[in-house]
Amino acid sequence: MTQLTVEAAARTFPRAHAYRLRNSRASGVALVVLLLGLWEASARLGIVQSTNWPPFSAVMVALYSSIVDGELLPIIVSTLWRLARGYVLGSACGVVLGFAIALNRPARLMLLPTIELLRPIPIPAIIPPLIFLMGLDDKLRLFAIAFATFFPVVLNTLAGVRAVEPVYRQVAQTFGVPRWKTLGCVVFPASLPFILAGLRTSLGLAFVVTVIAEMIVGEQGIGYYLVTMEFAMRTAEMYAGIILVTCIAYLLNCAFVAWEAHAIRWARLIEEMRGES
Amino acid sequence: MTLAAARSTKAGAAPPAAGGRLRVEGIAKSFLGPTGGAIAAIDAVSLDVAPGEFLAIVGPSGCGKSTLLQVIAGLMPPSGGTVRLGDRDVTGEPAHMVYLFQQYSRSLLPWMTVADNVMFAFRHRIKLRRAAAVARCRDYLAMVGLADVADHYPWQLSGGMQQRVAIARALAAEPQVLLMDEPFSSVDALTRLDLHSLILELWTQKRFTAVLVTHDVDEAIFLADRVAVLTQRPATVTEVIETRLPRPRQSIETRESAAFLALRHRLLSYLLSRGGDTPHA
Repeated sequence: MTQLTVEAAARTFPRAHAYRLRNSRASGVALVVLLLGLWEASARLGIVQSTNWPPFSAVMVALYSSIVDGELLPIIVSTLWRLARGYVLGSACGVVLGFAIALNRPARLMLLPTIELLRPIPIPAIIPPLIFLMGLDDKLRLFAIAFATFFPVVLNTLAGVRAVEPVYRQVAQTFGVPRWKTLGCVVFPASLPFILAGLRTSLGLAFVVTVIAEMIVGEQGIGYYLVTMEFAMRTAEMYAGIILVTCIAYLLNCAFVAWEAHAIRWARLIEEMRGES
Repeated sequence: MTLAAARSTKAGAAPPAAGGRLRVEGIAKSFLGPTGGAIAAIDAVSLDVAPGEFLAIVGPSGCGKSTLLQVIAGLMPPSGGTVRLGDRDVTGEPAHMVYLFQQYSRSLLPWMTVADNVMFAFRHRIKLRRAAAVARCRDYLAMVGLADVADHYPWQLSGGMQQRVAIARALAAEPQVLLMDEPFSSVDALTRLDLHSLILELWTQKRFTAVLVTHDVDEAIFLADRVAVLTQRPATVTEVIETRLPRPRQSIETRESAAFLALRHRLLSYLLSRGGDTPHA
């Protein structure tokens, strides 16, 4: 029996090799490389007939030179700084208001319908009317970013605080934790997994809105750069900008996920334990 | 007190039980019903517990035992009556009483390690240096035999171990009165017997006043000096029985003794004759 099984395994060894590739991370990387290769080939071999379709290598060269000659970096910095300000503003409002309406029923009854009505508004749609109200400066862009950030954060905070096990508060009470301290000591850490999930969703959203707002309003940031390069027909630089934006968004998300996993390690471990049983 | 004297272990060496009598006088509690009217949960319950005494309160499930205990613990305001500890009226969160919750899985804070959970019990009332706090925490964990899991999260432990952590945490606050809300009901039968012995050992050692609420007549007799019987809603105390069983009590022998069985017979027939058996609420 065993002998046969071993022989069978030996015969299928090449297949086992393929199996390993299919089930490793390498396959994901391989697809990305393949797609980039296709891009390169389609431009070089004239499969796509267009003057606006530079090969990937040319885009990389453009990316390199725009970074080296100092054109792109200040633009990226200005975008990230704008993103950071809008995101922090929107998150702070979201967390504070989320706590307030979670803990206060009259406030919740009053504010929740308005929040639910405003939430589905597509941000780009309100930028034109906002131009009339706020002008063309940074105020408008910050508002748009904060607005987009706010909703996932406020709703997740609300859900998180409402989901806190009521016994936790009694535990705090029996051990003499003052009421005002219970919020920071018990309610906040207990609802943190929800709040962080909201903040993670918002981060991606805020980044998208930052770029869109820059495309529509003002003369700064990577969004404006993309539009300018498009008008100038400098397509290699345009794609270079897109690739850079994509990489930054990807890295930001990775950094957030890593930080989140560390901050609420306990919640992740509980989930893993439940998954096993 | 004769009851205190009846304790066998270290009765002479241990410090006298701290604090005064726990007096519950005419406590009533009613809730707003679904139709707007008041529903009485507890009606004029009076209890008088001597310092260092172990009192058990038994009653059918849903009779308002937990509500009574929460009112005594200051977790819930009464609709009437007073709670006094020594010569003081107890209102709000009494500093010298600690409530031990029924479900360890809901009362241990999941984002804190076992050690942090135990330190949570005293760090808001007493300012200790880090080293002193850690030492105190270690002492209480050692008392329940869990010194080696201080760095674990509570949910990584078995049910019995989690309830031990909850007990260590409650005692780490060094309360005069420990109020226990069916703390042994959510562990398996063998673990329960273990925890019974543990709580008696700690009670003998620490000399706190213990009030236990339970629906388990055996548990009440085995642990307590006196057993108070609550009736159906609205709950009121109809009978208080002194157990007079010798201490230290033995897991097996005490439960098989004639005196134990006689008490059991008396209490059960009393509870059953009052139509105490009701569907679970």
